[in-house]
Amino acid sequence: MLNVGVIIKLEPDFSEGNVSYNSDGTLNRAETKNILGPHSAIACNAAFYCKVKYGARISIGTMGPPIAESALKQAQVLTDAEELNLYSDRLFAGADTLATAEVLKNGVEKMFGADKMDIVFSGHRASDGETGQTGPQTAWKLGYTFLGNVMDFDIDLDRKVIVAKRLISLQGMDTIIEEIECPLPVFITIDPSYKSAFSTVSQRLGANKYSKQGRKKSENYAQFLKTYDSQKLDLDPKLVGLPGSPTIVYRVERIPRAKTNRKTAIIDPSNPDNLTPVVTKIIEIARGK
Amino acid sequence: MKMSNSINQEIGTRRDEKYRHIYVVIEHFEGQVVPVSLEMLGEARRLMDDFNQKYQLREKVVAVLLGSDVRKLCDELVTYGADAVIYANHDELKYPRNDIDTRVIVQIAMDAKITKEIEPEYAGTFVKPRYMFFAADNIGRHLSSTVLADLESGLASDINKLVISDLDIRHEHKTKGQTVRYEKILEMYRPDFSGFLWTTILCLDNKNPEIQREYHPQGCSIIPGAFKPIDKDDSRDGTVVEYSPKIDQEPKIKIIKRSVIEKTIDYETCKIVVSMGRGIKDNPEQNIKLIEEFAELLGAEIGITLPLSKKPYQVSQSMDSKYMSPDRVIGTSGSKISPTLYVAIGLSGAVQHIAGMKESEIVISINIDENSPIVDESDIFIKGRMEDVIPKLVEKIKDQMQAISVRST
Ligand SMILES: Cc1cc2nc3c(=O)[nH]c(=O)nc-3n(C[C@H](O)[C@H](O)[C@H](O)COP(=O)(O)OP(=O)(O)OC[C@H]3O[C@@H](n4cnc5c(N)ncnc54)[C@H](O)[C@@H]3O)c2cc1C
Ligand SMILES: Nc1ncnc2c1ncn2[C@@H]1O[C@H](COP(=O)(O)O)[C@@H](O)[C@H]1O
Repeated sequence: MLNVGVIIKLEPDFSEGNVSYNSDGTLNRAETKNILGPHSAIACNAAFYCKVKYGARISIGTMGPPIAESALKQAQVLTDAEELNLYSDRLFAGADTLATAEVLKNGVEKMFGADKMDIVFSGHRASDGETGQTGPQTAWKLGYTFLGNVMDFDIDLDRKVIVAKRLISLQGMDTIIEEIECPLPVFITIDPSYKSAFSTVSQRLGANKYSKQGRKKSENYAQFLKTYDSQKLDLDPKLVGLPGSPTIVYRVERIPRAKTNRKTAIIDPSNPDNLTPVVTKIIEIARGK
Repeated sequence: MKMSNSINQEIGTRRDEKYRHIYVVIEHFEGQVVPVSLEMLGEARRLMDDFNQKYQLREKVVAVLLGSDVRKLCDELVTYGADAVIYANHDELKYPRNDIDTRVIVQIAMDAKITKEIEPEYAGTFVKPRYMFFAADNIGRHLSSTVLADLESGLASDINKLVISDLDIRHEHKTKGQTVRYEKILEMYRPDFSGFLWTTILCLDNKNPEIQREYHPQGCSIIPGAFKPIDKDDSRDGTVVEYSPKIDQEPKIKIIKRSVIEKTIDYETCKIVVSMGRGIKDNPEQNIKLIEEFAELLGAEIGITLPLSKKPYQVSQSMDSKYMSPDRVIGTSGSKISPTLYVAIGLSGAVQHIAGMKESEIVISINIDENSPIVDESDIFIKGRMEDVIPKLVEKIKDQMQAISVRST
């Protein structure tokens, strides 16, 4: 039986139709719905895979305001988690990634009554704009070996070792798939390309069973919920929230349009003749002249 | 009142000498320095030249390089702007591995002795680097996170503009509401998720006496392609120093195998790239088919914007797996391309996207909105709905092509 943790985040829903913009093109946060972040959901799938394939207890954690409960509930549907943890305190507000990682470290250390964890998953990055720093920083503070961009993995339960495939792609270079081996515990940020595949019949049956169970549990998710404030997490108030954040947001502005050397010809296509020179140009290039 | 005095006194007496230099963490791959590393050196060079002139100092651009046989890369780093290269050669450092690389980089960053060989004048007071740059890619993003977590300082990710300045800051926590001058602060500009807003992030010491704490280095990860390298200059001088890393514990991560995956899409050799963005939304399936036909006619490859790689629309499975995938993204999170012709269909031209296509020779856009920033990056802007424009183009191209082939036979 593995002890598996997942740290997740409630995020604005960027999918089509759900996102609302202000007239100046910025996100309207009040109008936009919040959901379990898509990368957090992939991390949940990876944890669920551990449960089906190897047998695991799953603990989910999130730092956020009380409404972040809804993300924990969604995560329970995906994972059939035994435990949901909300790390919530007004002192945590305004945290940058270092201060967030400080909270999450203490949170993970308290999962399952401070039982030792084998694997902790985090998402690759929060929706579009975020940093992707929270996972590795939490890992480093925990002292777990950090594995990034994991696309696929297998666990050797006897040796307590994980074998994983990682994606390495650097701009301008060939893409590499790297196969690595590492003793547990590990902290994994899961690559967006991760797909949990249940190959055998018994795995598929197991997946069905736990899915049903997860949905059922989530109806009474409050039963599984533990809420922690900074005291319960034994946190030093100087290391969390704004006081514990090295960085601040100093200014937000529109990005000025870049100057370019192009002279733009604007074409009205309602008269098809206007398109003729464009087509001539396109064909010229297509024919390699 | 008393409060503000004590803060100001503290500023006046601190000579700010514990923190020195820009450290640039270099990446290399199969014996080659990765382009973004040279771009970072270029930007560091420009910043440091201004900095030294403005403050009358002699701080350095220091490249940090780990590997198993990397001495041979050091001179190149000097020709691209490094004043000094600190390199560590060790079998265990052959390929990037987060655990061991983090330890070694932290060792180097905290080693005051080695800075004596770089700039003896400051060696006596050196504690940590002043600034630290990493690449915002698969390796650097995580490495920057763990290194800065260990050094307990601040990090901003995905930066595409940097300025060093003195700022008067008033902040509830950092300065306890007083206005305090901070010197030599790195303003780190980060384009947000829409690609139209810039957020400036600062990494600042807490000067509020109740939570006093120094945060250095000021760290960031830099978007590949955001900055230009300096012109290679073989006459530049630089100090190359070997560092012997202390690798006392065996690295936990063992690399079993590395395999190159063949690129399925080759943007480098194709002359025409046709890209689509969220503008396909009114009828995604039908619009992709239109774009597919248009591209096939021209022998063009198809690209996408980042949001499409997140599969926001329901389309048939084969289309989904063929086009809505991360390896087709054009921009800072994907490929940087320079085709003869780039056709931008239903995409707005966010900075991160422009960074990937601005080197195209000719750009044609199809868009309903004349105010989309892609206008400025277009030679020809066809103002209309793709649903109307593409069929007209396809028809005309077919006609003209036929006419040409009839004439030539
Ligand atoms: C760290 C980070 C990295 C990023 N990296 C990348 C990257 O590498 N590449 C990338 O592309 N983005 C990247 N982004 C996202 C980027 O900021 C923008 O969000 C994205 O490029 C916008 O995509 P879009 O142009 O498809 O959509 P939108 O901005 O929504 O634009 C849609 C366009 O379609 C037009 N349109 C609508 N209907 C029609 C129609 N019927 N016919 C014709 N036109 C129509 C509209 O006028 C509009 O201009 C990144 C973001 C972050 C935070
Ligand atoms: N407040 C939080 N609580 C729990 N997990 C988080 C939080 N913020 C970020 N994460 C995790 O870190 C990942 C990357 O987020 P970010 O570093 O913000 O891009 C997310 O997908 C989550 O798994």
